[in-house]
Amino acid sequence: MIPLEYFLILSSVLFVIGIVGVLTKKNAILVLISIELMLNAANINFVAFAAYNNDPTGYVFALFSIGIAAAEVAVGLAILLNLNRLKDTVHVDDLNTMRW
Amino acid sequence: MQIYELAWIIPLLPLVAFLIVGFLGGKMKDKGGMIALAGVGGAMVLSLLVAYQALTAGFDGGAHYFEQSMAWVSVGGYDLQLGIYIDTVTALMLIVVSFVASLVVIYSVGYMHDQGERRRRYFTEICLFVGVMLGLVLANNFLQLFIFWELVGLCSYLLIGFWFERPSAASAAKKAFLVTRVGDVMFMVGLIVLLTTFKTLNFHTLFDPAVIGGADQGMLALGLFFMFGGSIGKSAQFPLHDWLPDAMEGPTTVSALIHAATMVKAGVYLVARMFPLLIFVPDVGLFIAIIGGVTALMAATMALNSPLIKRVLAYSTISQLGYMFLSLGTGAYLFGIGLKDGNEALMAAGSIAFAAGLFHLMNHAFFKALLFLSAGAVIHYVHTEELRLMGGLRKHMKVTSTVMLIGSLSIAGIPILSGFWSKDEILASVFEAGSDHWVFLLLWLMGVITAFLTAFYMFRMWFMTFAGEEGEATKHATHTKGEHVGAHGDEHGHEAEVHEHHEAPWVMLGPLVVLAILAIGSGLVVFIGEGFSGTIFFDVKEAFSLDKILGDWLTYLSVLVAIAGIALAYFTFYKKKVDAGAIANKPSVRPLYNMLLKRYGFTKGYDYIGEKVVYGFSLAVDWFDRKIIDGIVNLISRGLVGGGKAMRKMQTGLVQSYSAIIIGGIVVLIVLLYVLGYVLGVI
Repeated sequence: MIPLEYFLILSSVLFVIGIVGVLTKKNAILVLISIELMLNAANINFVAFAAYNNDPTGYVFALFSIGIAAAEVAVGLAILLNLNRLKDTVHVDDLNTMRW
Repeated sequence: MQIYELAWIIPLLPLVAFLIVGFLGGKMKDKGGMIALAGVGGAMVLSLLVAYQALTAGFDGGAHYFEQSMAWVSVGGYDLQLGIYIDTVTALMLIVVSFVASLVVIYSVGYMHDQGERRRRYFTEICLFVGVMLGLVLANNFLQLFIFWELVGLCSYLLIGFWFERPSAASAAKKAFLVTRVGDVMFMVGLIVLLTTFKTLNFHTLFDPAVIGGADQGMLALGLFFMFGGSIGKSAQFPLHDWLPDAMEGPTTVSALIHAATMVKAGVYLVARMFPLLIFVPDVGLFIAIIGGVTALMAATMALNSPLIKRVLAYSTISQLGYMFLSLGTGAYLFGIGLKDGNEALMAAGSIAFAAGLFHLMNHAFFKALLFLSAGAVIHYVHTEELRLMGGLRKHMKVTSTVMLIGSLSIAGIPILSGFWSKDEILASVFEAGSDHWVFLLLWLMGVITAFLTAFYMFRMWFMTFAGEEGEATKHATHTKGEHVGAHGDEHGHEAEVHEHHEAPWVMLGPLVVLAILAIGSGLVVFIGEGFSGTIFFDVKEAFSLDKILGDWLTYLSVLVAIAGIALAYFTFYKKKVDAGAIANKPSVRPLYNMLLKRYGFTKGYDYIGEKVVYGFSLAVDWFDRKIIDGIVNLISRGLVGGGKAMRKMQTGLVQSYSAIIIGGIVVLIVLLYVLGYVLGVI
């Protein structure tokens, strides 16, 4: 059996790549993709621990989070499409409307 | 109903008059003079009734006082009250204050006649002055006394600065206010010490020997010491005496009131009030006696060559007040020593000394009011205060010169006149105390020298004013009086009719005559009943006796000294056998002469202290305030503003910077938890 550490290292690497992507990418679509990477890193952990502990709860959680990720991307893309239509850009640097 | 229960009305009457004159006086024809007289006179009538009852019938149930009070503030275990307290000392003060004040107000109606609109201000302030002084006398606790004490200070400030457009009057008022304030701060410190020691300031609790005995004697001594500081300021004793000569800038009637009945007598009254406490700390009594003795002598020397008539009287007041403090201090010391050793004779001697001090207070009030009001009449006539310019006034002012002669003889201590009895009694008491402490012998000697100087300078003043050749001012006044009156004939209609050599009107002379009678006779009250030993709070009593006074060589010594002083003045300033000017101009005497004129440099000294020490200190405090205190405040505000600015910069509105902060925060948290776990040994 492959040791648990390998999975954890893989997921950590993916997670950090995701964080860096979220923080550095200018394009909002790439930010969304990076978020997916982070979610998947979490999913890998769930699946790895479930297999390791012989506990199916982890698989179920992984399914849930895939579902949530799908929904989130649908919503996120919809927002981005609207933003693009309004502001004619998807660059996060140009989108500072959260400032009051 | 007892008359005592009405005593609270006494200070109220002048205060009501104060309000009426203050608000409506301008519309009245005499600018409120009659209302003022009604208020003060009413207070006098009631005061005399109360005092008569207190001095003859005594108080109910064998008590030595009458008290009426209501709770004012009760907080944190401290119990403060408002009320009135009447005992024999109060009764004496009531007589003195209300009676002299009434005469001064009557006199003022004439004296201030030409002041026009300003009379309203004058009568308003006089009413307030008398009212608060009576309130001070009637207070039943030290805090209430202190409140009125401060009000008396305010009134003196207002009245000394009555002619505020003169720079000298304005600065004299300021000086009086500030110098007495030094004493008042000490008084306040003393009050706080007493309040923390006893938890109350009510007289009847404080004067209970059991309460005093149970208290911390060190704290008691400290409190009394500081409270006496208040007396030093108010009564113009060394070293805070210098404001009183300057206070002559006010109207002469105000000087009379301040010197005879109100302001400076408050300090003596305070010491008399503290007496039941003072006897538990004889050392403070000794201190008071020393201050009194030193002041008496020093002020008398300064009066020797003073060129202004009112200045001479001012110095003489300081000197006489010194006598009172000397006497009260000696009394407290003797009584205290006697109390410690259980020596009845010493306690009796202490009581006598105490009584002598109060006795002198009363006599002084009468003859000093007389002297000041006479001086006022003189100034009214010649329009100057310079003694050199007067002279020869006796012919023109018969009544005034006579009553002033009576006053001068009285203060000089010539027998039968009032000043003799009290001054002699004081000197005898101090001499007697000499057998217990050598300092008193020294003080006695100073007292005798002071008596000599007093006789000398008073008669120097009298001869220079009334005797000899007519001075410039006298000639001018007698020569131009007719024209002067004619020119203002329409203003003072009745004056136009009188002939030109006219002294003060009878509204001014009347009070003088009454005071002259008192200056002659008030000393004889010692032979009525228990004499002045009746004013003492304690059971130990010993009446003054004529045999004792006549049988004592000290009596003859003080009479001799007084006559010698008068004789010296007579030969110097009347017969001109001695050339005073030549003596003063001798190179060996000149520096001394100048030193006395400059009041031993006290005026300069105050300025020096004010300029160098106080101003320097103030600069340091100012620096501390601006740099340190304000600096701290500014630092806090600057920090908050800076923090706000930084927070605003963080508010970018960019999702990525927010998430960077969140992630950074999480990382920091994880690291912290890791370190914490490591330190605690969990990991």
